Amino acid sequence: MKRLILFFFFITNVSIAQIFQTESGYVIFLSKAPLSEFNGESNKLNGFINVSKNVLDFYVDLNTVDTGIGLRDKHMRDNYLETDKFPFAEFTGKMRSIPTLVSGEKTPVSAVGKFKIHGVEREIEVKGTLLKNPKGELELDAIFEVLLSDYKIPIPTLVFYELAEKQTVTIKATLKSKN
Amino acid sequence: MNRIILLILFASLPFSLSAQLQRKLVNENQPVELIFHAPRHINLLTVEPLTKKSLHYAIMHTFGTLDGGIENLFGIDNGANIQFSFEYGLTDKLSIGASRTSQDKLYNIYGRYHIFQQMQNGSKQFSLSVAGGGGVNSSKYSFLNDAAPDFKDRVSFFGQVMIARKFTPKISFQLTPMFGYFINPQQIYQIQGTENLYLALGFSGKIKVTDRSSLTLQYIPNLHNDLRNNVGIGWDIEAGGHVFQMYFVTSPALNEQYLLAGGNGTIGDGFRLGFNVNRIFATGQRKNKK
Repeated sequence: MKRLILFFFFITNVSIAQIFQTESGYVIFLSKAPLSEFNGESNKLNGFINVSKNVLDFYVDLNTVDTGIGLRDKHMRDNYLETDKFPFAEFTGKMRSIPTLVSGEKTPVSAVGKFKIHGVEREIEVKGTLLKNPKGELELDAIFEVLLSDYKIPIPTLVFYELAEKQTVTIKATLKSKN
Repeated sequence: MNRIILLILFASLPFSLSAQLQRKLVNENQPVELIFHAPRHINLLTVEPLTKKSLHYAIMHTFGTLDGGIENLFGIDNGANIQFSFEYGLTDKLSIGASRTSQDKLYNIYGRYHIFQQMQNGSKQFSLSVAGGGGVNSSKYSFLNDAAPDFKDRVSFFGQVMIARKFTPKISFQLTPMFGYFINPQQIYQIQGTENLYLALGFSGKIKVTDRSSLTLQYIPNLHNDLRNNVGIGWDIEAGGHVFQMYFVTSPALNEQYLLAGGNGTIGDGFRLGFNVNRIFATGQRKNKK
């Protein structure tokens, strides 16, 4: 019995060594409407990649998204994202296959999982690349598209020329091995 | 011994087995935002702050009285009083602005300072701001037989305190004790008052009707004179980067001094159509660019 417990203990510790957690993370939303193109940016992306268990989890506090215009940020929080009720955009999923990472080489990866924003959860696929840098950190780049109507964020007709229905989300994160 | 091992094992379980990080807000306590749609609400300044380095541009119009009927297209034929204003955020709390009103060709400069903001967790129950400024009537008065008024006789000032609270996500209210002061309120000026000092209490209300539009109310009783009180009722629409404000109001005045000294028409026939367009521009560099 004792040995069995020790064995499990050992296993869990091994898996801890396979977890990479964000050191820094950026999210950029790009809205490209006919009359207005703007970015919303946040450097508060948090998350981890558990390589041995194949679990990915990322979230960002939407209150930190900055479009460069204070009033637009407020309208975005108040009227569209409703951050008082739904403060986070989050993704939890797994990679289709666990890549073999060669240091200094970008490896394409594809993740499937649940993306949640504005209280609506949907199954999505995200494609990106993973790079193991010389410091042993993982660098993640990914781009995916979000249709606002999929997440019950309506665009009033008065605003259609200022806000795009299709938002392009770019993610950049550096993840450090958690030991 | 077994127990200790079990304890260590369980202690190490939560992290290794959890599939999600704990969601944490970057800022636990945040100010209540958009108590009003814009830094203006019908005619009055609000507690709505400008972020640092942003520029608020407002163009405001009021037309003639409605009693001319369809013949004068409900006052629109009678020419508009128009005010352009620019207000710039020096910091997140302090902004300075300048405006020009067609009525008496008045140039105003003013500042707004936000002392504190209503907070989501209730640590501050309301927002408190102050504003004040002064202006010069620049009309030429070439039609006068006498000499035109001296520069100092053309100067006027205003000051106000703004206390505002968002009571529910739909209902906001602002109380604005305010004064206007004219160095020499001459009859040729487009004001009805003859005194130097004007004291009033502004009430502003906002009732959100849809996600992006609100019913707006304004009532400014005079405390210190017999002039009629100002009443306004309108509709604010948020349209992307713009806030449009349409309203009926009893006064053509658009700046604070004239709003208090200018006098008002009666509710109904004396109403005028008014229309503001608010736009905020960002200047300077974005903070977290990478």
